[in-house]
Amino acid sequence: MKRKVVSTMLCAAMAAGLLAGCGSGSSSSAASSASSASSAETTEAVASGSGEAVKSGSTAAAGTADASGHTYAIVTKSAGNPYNEREASGFKDTIEALGGTCIVQNPEQATADAQISVINSLISQKVDSIAVAANDANALSAVLQQAMDAGIKVMTLDSDVEASSRMVFCNQAGVKEVGQALIDAVYDITGGEGEYAILSATSQATNQNSWIDAMKSIAESDDKYSELVLDEVAYGDDEPQKSTDQTQALLQKYPNLKVICSPTTVGISAAAKVLQDQNSSVKLTGLGLPSEMKEYIGDDDSHSCPYMFLWNPIDLGKLAAYTSVALVNGQITGAEGDTFEAGDMENSPYTVTKNADGATEIILGPPYKFDPSNIDEWAEVY
Amino acid sequence: MAGKSGREINAVPQNSVKQKILSWEGGLVIIFVAVLILGAVISPTYNFFSVFREMPKYLCEIFMMFAMGYILIIAEIDISVGAIVCLAATLGCFAGNAGAPLAGVIAVCIGVGFLAGCLNGVILTHFTELPSMIVTLGTQIIFRGIAEVSLGSGGSVSMSNSKIIMPLATMVGPFPLVFFFVAIAAVIFIFSLSRTTFGRKLYAVGSNHTAAHYAGIPVQKIRMICFVLIGTMAGVCALFYLSTTFGANTTTGQGYEMDVIAMCVFGGIATTGGKGNLIGATIAGFTIVCLRIALGQRNINTQLILVIIGLLLIISVLIPRISEVLGNRKRRAVQG
Repeated sequence: MKRKVVSTMLCAAMAAGLLAGCGSGSSSSAASSASSASSAETTEAVASGSGEAVKSGSTAAAGTADASGHTYAIVTKSAGNPYNEREASGFKDTIEALGGTCIVQNPEQATADAQISVINSLISQKVDSIAVAANDANALSAVLQQAMDAGIKVMTLDSDVEASSRMVFCNQAGVKEVGQALIDAVYDITGGEGEYAILSATSQATNQNSWIDAMKSIAESDDKYSELVLDEVAYGDDEPQKSTDQTQALLQKYPNLKVICSPTTVGISAAAKVLQDQNSSVKLTGLGLPSEMKEYIGDDDSHSCPYMFLWNPIDLGKLAAYTSVALVNGQITGAEGDTFEAGDMENSPYTVTKNADGATEIILGPPYKFDPSNIDEWAEVY
Repeated sequence: MAGKSGREINAVPQNSVKQKILSWEGGLVIIFVAVLILGAVISPTYNFFSVFREMPKYLCEIFMMFAMGYILIIAEIDISVGAIVCLAATLGCFAGNAGAPLAGVIAVCIGVGFLAGCLNGVILTHFTELPSMIVTLGTQIIFRGIAEVSLGSGGSVSMSNSKIIMPLATMVGPFPLVFFFVAIAAVIFIFSLSRTTFGRKLYAVGSNHTAAHYAGIPVQKIRMICFVLIGTMAGVCALFYLSTTFGANTTTGQGYEMDVIAMCVFGGIATTGGKGNLIGATIAGFTIVCLRIALGQRNINTQLILVIIGLLLIISVLIPRISEVLGNRKRRAVQG
């Protein structure tokens, strides 16, 4: 009997729970719309309040740029990528100094798939602008188009998408400038002739491919490079272990290899470790983070990398922030010839130009060379 | 309670299991509503429209969840589904790029899923002593391997003409098209499990495979059907995946098998077979989807979201254990 009573009570409790659930379910929509209205107001009030406070201090330094009352988002390639983290920090600091609200989103994996979920969520939040470092040139088109249809200003930095699905691209360095710097480094380190290989990230990474293509076309167009032989373009997928494996495979496959050029920060540091640990005569150059490459850069045989290049990711993030603010303020639309001030940045004011494919971009500047003379100083910066 | 016959004593625990499952779903509904309220509280933009707008990306997994429910109920497991999604999406994308119309892409995706399911089914029904965990682990590697080989060193393919697949990504009012397909699949799967002899056979096979065999249930045929079904649903998942991402790469579908198993377990389906139903799993699936969207809109970082969902899963499998222990203690106390 007791059990029956207990079970009846359980049923009653459950039914009550269900009813309560339904009740709160129906009222929750009303509650949520009310709460959404009120909390939207508070965020705006807070943002504009802090905006005013900062604005008075920063107007002199930042010129006409003002970000108060707006929300700016940046979507990196993936979490745990130090280069991307610096970009995001440059972006965030600048936006906040200008009085805006900043959202930094790091997708769980370095795939377009993961970025789509994040961008969808940002569209729901009705942010004012989205800056993306794209993991795939095509796959993000539809979702970015949706964002632009919703009135959000969309721009890319670091790695571009199709020109029609964003307003402007912040290019860390002109494709030609990077290609030129890398092929010249290979030419210089090999002594003008011999075999070299490229260790890239993933083969769909837009920026990697355009730099590699630029290197190839420069090498073909000038007789100076005719003695250089490209053995292989290997892909380490921006994973340390896979990059290490690919480096070892290159060393085994090509005994006459003289130089490995790795235009990705993950690839170059993995390759540097392999070469230095094996005391290999093969040298390394490419694009790398100074803090990660500090112990591998040197002129003597005990170091694997004589010199390498990179731009300042913090500056790229800053430029992206100023670009986002200019887009949201309506100061620029991303059309060729648009000009805007970028605070205290070196090459300010920046102008929107067209690249070879007719897509609009803003170029940060030429790549910067890191050699034994300046690596210690830069390793502390990033 | 008065009788001393075995039958009556048996009837008591059965009844309490039923109670537990019933209350499990009641609990899920409460959790689901709690998630919705939580979403509305933590994010000002979390509402009916934004949830449905973001849903398609997550909904494609739900297709596989239904079939995974069947698989778990017959006390099997299939961990190759994520790889099947990868393979089907890759080949579907290639078909689209080769000029196939929407019907062609649909046929390729679902066909690849069907064949992959057949392969799993044939191996498992011909070599009945093999555990499904190991066989599907093997086929998982094979399917992903084929996808990686066909993707080449690039590791990625994208739809050169995304307009082909666009019709699948349309919105019907505030609802994405895929939502209706999920709803139809839900009705079919739930109905066949709870209201048909096929469904009862699944429970019989899962509760006691040998007894089911002697009772004249075609155990191997049932297993074959279930594995083909989940392969096919993985193909459907791949199709709708393509309609949200317009491309596939080597990481496509990674972890999907664990996601759908998590949804089923959270929904009260026991991995030991014979227990649970798809109504609970469906509520659980939507709870996880809505939770992900809510946390995403709050800009909680994606790694933390995975941690939260993992915790939820652990807690959900622990609750019955804890209540069992408490129940035993109470019973002992009563007896003493």
